[in-house]
Amino acid sequence: MLKVSVNNLKPGMKLAKPVINEAGIMLLEESTELTAALIDRLQNMNVSSVFIEGASKPQKSKEEIMLEIDARFRKTENEPYMGMLKRMLKEHVEELYK
Amino acid sequence: MDVQALRSQIERIDTLPTIPSVLRKLLLIIENPKVSLNEIGSFISNDLVLTSRVLKVVNSPIYGFPGRVSSISQALILLGLNVVRGMLLGVSVFEAMQKTMLGLWEHSLGCAVTARIIAKRKDLKEPEEVSVAALLHDIGKVVLGLKFPDEYKKIMSDAETKENFIFDAEKNHFNINHADAGAWIAQRWNFPRSLVEIIEYHHKPHLSKNVPVQTAIVHLSDILVRAKGFGFAGDNFVPAINSSAWQSLDLSETDVKEILKEMEDSLSQAEDFLLSDE
Repeated sequence: MLKVSVNNLKPGMKLAKPVINEAGIMLLEESTELTAALIDRLQNMNVSSVFIEGASKPQKSKEEIMLEIDARFRKTENEPYMGMLKRMLKEHVEELYK
Repeated sequence: MDVQALRSQIERIDTLPTIPSVLRKLLLIIENPKVSLNEIGSFISNDLVLTSRVLKVVNSPIYGFPGRVSSISQALILLGLNVVRGMLLGVSVFEAMQKTMLGLWEHSLGCAVTARIIAKRKDLKEPEEVSVAALLHDIGKVVLGLKFPDEYKKIMSDAETKENFIFDAEKNHFNINHADAGAWIAQRWNFPRSLVEIIEYHHKPHLSKNVPVQTAIVHLSDILVRAKGFGFAGDNFVPAINSSAWQSLDLSETDVKEILKEMEDSLSQAEDFLLSDE
């Protein structure tokens, strides 16, 4: 899933999530395929971005994220269970970058 | 200042001129334990900003009714009075949160989202109640920041330069921390006993008598959200998990991995929610 600004939408993209306006009303259903006309309408309806199907990649590099995790766990990683939690989080990040 | 004097000062926070007027009006309503659904409903509906904020939160991933709630009365029926009371307070303090500590609102929303994920995994009957408790767990930081702005700034910069946890920096200065301050104010505002307890013990979950599971969930949510680096709660460190709380939750490695996966999606939606305009 990828968050895309309405200005960068292309016909043929498919919604990964329904589009909901500020009043909480659903404008477009999930898995709607966007057409030029729908994109026009979204741009006129004050919607800033929508979720499009497809894998999303975290923006930071994996190495950067791992270093940040190390820094955040620095004070407590030797406490009970904390080493384990840290390992699980790092494995989770590895998965995201596969 | 002794603890009793501090407490009575904090309990009089409603009279501060810096309290947003909507919050002041709201407090009059939520402090009354006998307030009815109708009264709350009409109070919110009369305020457009509040209405749109509440609907945004209800329709956000935090509460899991995406796009399905279009009116305040519907929100009240779906979520119940206690959850809406807490959520109202949450959305009303968000400006104060951002002012006190940039990133605290993100941290709070992140915890609300995560607590809901864990509560559902543990098959709790009222995941929304745990979620709203997580949204408000750090209310004490806002209260301290509003009541003692200069001192709290100093506490924050102390935590930063000495690389301390914020709760230790608070304790060094006030002899109490935000969990104590939050519990006092929640009690003063007649919040349900369970909510007061979760706020009071979110760093010491083993002390919770009536809602130990819910308190452990908020405790773990706080840790996971900080571990992921979502938002800012006053320091950049992951606090240690309480062993007995961890054991009582009885989460397998698969559970934790699944929770982290669910957090990925929900946090990015929460982020979107935070970035979207009023």
